Amino acid sequence: MRNSSRRSFLRHASAGTAVLTFGGIAPKALQAAAMAQKSERILVVIELQGGNDGLNTVVPFADSAYQKLRPKLALKKDDLLTISDGLAFHGSLKGFADLLEAGQLAVIQGVGYENPNRSHFESMDIWHTCQRKEETRTDGWLGRFFEKEAAVAGTDPAALHLGADKQPFALMSRTVRTPSIRSLEQFRLQGADDADFRKAVQELADAKRGGGNDLLDFVQTSTSSAIAASERLSGAASKATTSVVWPTSPLADQLQTVARLIRSGLTTSVYYVTLNGFDTHSQQPDVHAALLRQLSDSVKALLDDVKEQGQSERVAVMCFSEFGRRVEENASDGTDHGTAGPMFIAGAASQIHSGLIGDHPKLNDLKDGDLKHHTDFRQVYAAVIEKWFQTPSSEILKGTWTPTPVFRS
Amino acid sequence: MNFEIDPEWAWREYSPDNETPWNLRTASHLFRRLGFGASQKDLDAALQRKPSELVDDLLNINEPVDFQREMKSLADSALATGNVKQLSAWWAYRMLASPAQALEKTTLFWHGHFATSAEKVTEGQLMLTQNELLRRYAFGDFSQMLLEISRDAAMLIYLDSATNRKAHPNENYAREIMELFCLGEGNYSETDIRELARCFTGWEVRRGEFRFNRFQHDTGTKNILGKSGDFGGEDGVRIVLEQKSAPEFLVSKLIRYFVMDEPAASRELIAPLAKEMRESGMKIRPVLRRILTSQLFYSPLAIGRKIKSPVEMAIGLLRSLEGTTNSFELAESLQQLGQGLLYPPSVKGWDGGRTWINSSTLLGRSNLVRDLITHEKTRFGRTSLKQYLASQKVTQPRAIIDHLEERLFAVAIPEAAKDRIARLMAAASGKAIVEGLHALCTLPEFQIA
Repeated sequence: MRNSSRRSFLRHASAGTAVLTFGGIAPKALQAAAMAQKSERILVVIELQGGNDGLNTVVPFADSAYQKLRPKLALKKDDLLTISDGLAFHGSLKGFADLLEAGQLAVIQGVGYENPNRSHFESMDIWHTCQRKEETRTDGWLGRFFEKEAAVAGTDPAALHLGADKQPFALMSRTVRTPSIRSLEQFRLQGADDADFRKAVQELADAKRGGGNDLLDFVQTSTSSAIAASERLSGAASKATTSVVWPTSPLADQLQTVARLIRSGLTTSVYYVTLNGFDTHSQQPDVHAALLRQLSDSVKALLDDVKEQGQSERVAVMCFSEFGRRVEENASDGTDHGTAGPMFIAGAASQIHSGLIGDHPKLNDLKDGDLKHHTDFRQVYAAVIEKWFQTPSSEILKGTWTPTPVFRS
Repeated sequence: MNFEIDPEWAWREYSPDNETPWNLRTASHLFRRLGFGASQKDLDAALQRKPSELVDDLLNINEPVDFQREMKSLADSALATGNVKQLSAWWAYRMLASPAQALEKTTLFWHGHFATSAEKVTEGQLMLTQNELLRRYAFGDFSQMLLEISRDAAMLIYLDSATNRKAHPNENYAREIMELFCLGEGNYSETDIRELARCFTGWEVRRGEFRFNRFQHDTGTKNILGKSGDFGGEDGVRIVLEQKSAPEFLVSKLIRYFVMDEPAASRELIAPLAKEMRESGMKIRPVLRRILTSQLFYSPLAIGRKIKSPVEMAIGLLRSLEGTTNSFELAESLQQLGQGLLYPPSVKGWDGGRTWINSSTLLGRSNLVRDLITHEKTRFGRTSLKQYLASQKVTQPRAIIDHLEERLFAVAIPEAAKDRIARLMAAASGKAIVEGLHALCTLPEFQIA
């Protein structure tokens, strides 16, 4: 790794420069142009479930406090991939290090929110909805974003959730239903090879009920879109092939499906996948290393695949976790729930400001033993919505946030 | 627009009248909620009882000794395979076959409440021991259940609390007992978690058994939820359970599971039952009885106001038609639909309600119905579906549809939909019943309980 060349594109200070939002001030015609451009862009969200240990992901190896508070878990310099003088990636993040070298990865440090909640579920809900528990939460930030985009009947879904787990709250919307698919092969209706049967169940699902039962109405619209989407996707990606050698892992399988769908020409703009297992209360080292390797190798393969397709400039990948972990290790070779952690955005070098964004949270300035955040996660969301998708963000994020300078556009 | 349910009205005992008669529809509703569904025989017998008598029957029925013996022997065989998925299949079979379905349904509630996954525990025997614990206390004393689950090997392993040393207390169990098992988020502070974690130091699992290691127990003074003292783990559990929010939290979860997904019960609605639960010494059966004999439970606010879980959907379909099938494949399918028995997705259990539903699970549910009714191992009343229906004197498409609607549906199917399915069946000749039942079970109405 050539540190000197890397340093030249490192460090985009997260200073709060006022940024005018394009959508907010642009005349209608320009907005329409932006819309056309926007519809081409794709965001792939990777949710790291369980609370990723940010401190052993982007490691302040030279900090004596780090060594002191983590006598067993502190990673040694020789096992790390150097980013800058005092910071390095976990040794499993080879893919991320390569992306950084190629100018394709933004590492946003110290991301969190005020008055952090250390419950997995509550904190995840906060990240998903941008709202606290005291407020009525009915939809997620991405769900609200989809509502802003004019729905065109008969086109592809605005978003797809890949995986077997329940649908993320972030995708919930009162009007737009996001399909969840485990795999393309399983996403087809049995008996549908019989045209009469397929036609009948689609008609029966499409008919509005209107008896005043919200749950039934919800199931009706969901069934209707499920059958339609299954019809559309069943042939979409069967012939897609690539020369990229994909790693073998659950996350890689999901991202490879994403790559196939992008290749098939689907107009879907958000893909959402999850990687579980980051709740490392015990026996952290091996588990964490394997997860980080899975993450970074899969993201690298996805970007290689879309590059081969000539579609690099359309795709950005965002990784987040509900919180980081306590600075001090526990007695079980693990760490308990903490607060701030890093986020990652990967994409084409022409599209993103690669490098470290913001400082590493200070280990000598903790609150209740936890790191303090300096960047709110909604600033990163604001960058995604305003800069990447060229859409005003304040209604979607329930507040006005200065976008973190991640994207070049 | 803030719609409130009057608690006084809600919890008064239901007595059948013209508006809400005690009939096939209301009796099926009770069986769907306090069980997985009723066969024709169950329903005929039920209508001879008063609703409150039937609830008492269901809540007090004991498993026959022969049944328990058979289940024990099947569980042993499942464990002997070394594959915990076999134990998952064992539970699916137990749900299908049990004469005490209220007990299975309530045990499933506690499994979701004290969610522990074999994915991490891996040891089948420990999962079975926990499952038996949940069944033993399903209608019993919550305080005792909580104390035992706090020392349950599978639970402690699942929450990384199998070692807990005084120098570095592990906070996981302390957090979850307050957040998910007893009080709900917001009813304790981060300091309470750290202090409670100190109470549990020295609690360990060694060779699959709970053990107290006094050398690792922190004997200092702890300050938890306004109490102060040299507390041990038992004290910690007791102090958490003494909180006012404990019965409130449990009652609200019981209402959501047995009565309605939405809206969440208001504080006012919860209050009277929470008070009774506290006064009864945290006994579960009395509060369940109150819920299931209430006016609210038999009202339009409850009937058709839940989304079936995958287990309710599949076991319910089979039980209503006296069906049996390959339990292993059934358990696998339930897992794919998001409700693997002994494999909950996280310590929070299943969120239920709308979260069961998405494109993938809807297609999966429809496909599972097709698999079930066409599987070579599936029998209805020990025979084929066609012969079974014929034995109930239903043979024509429209009669079959009406018959199935009465047993399987909580909300009415639109007339036009019934006509369309009857046409589909008429055109399908040899496959009429398969096509018809599959189409019926793909209707949005089928997902509602």
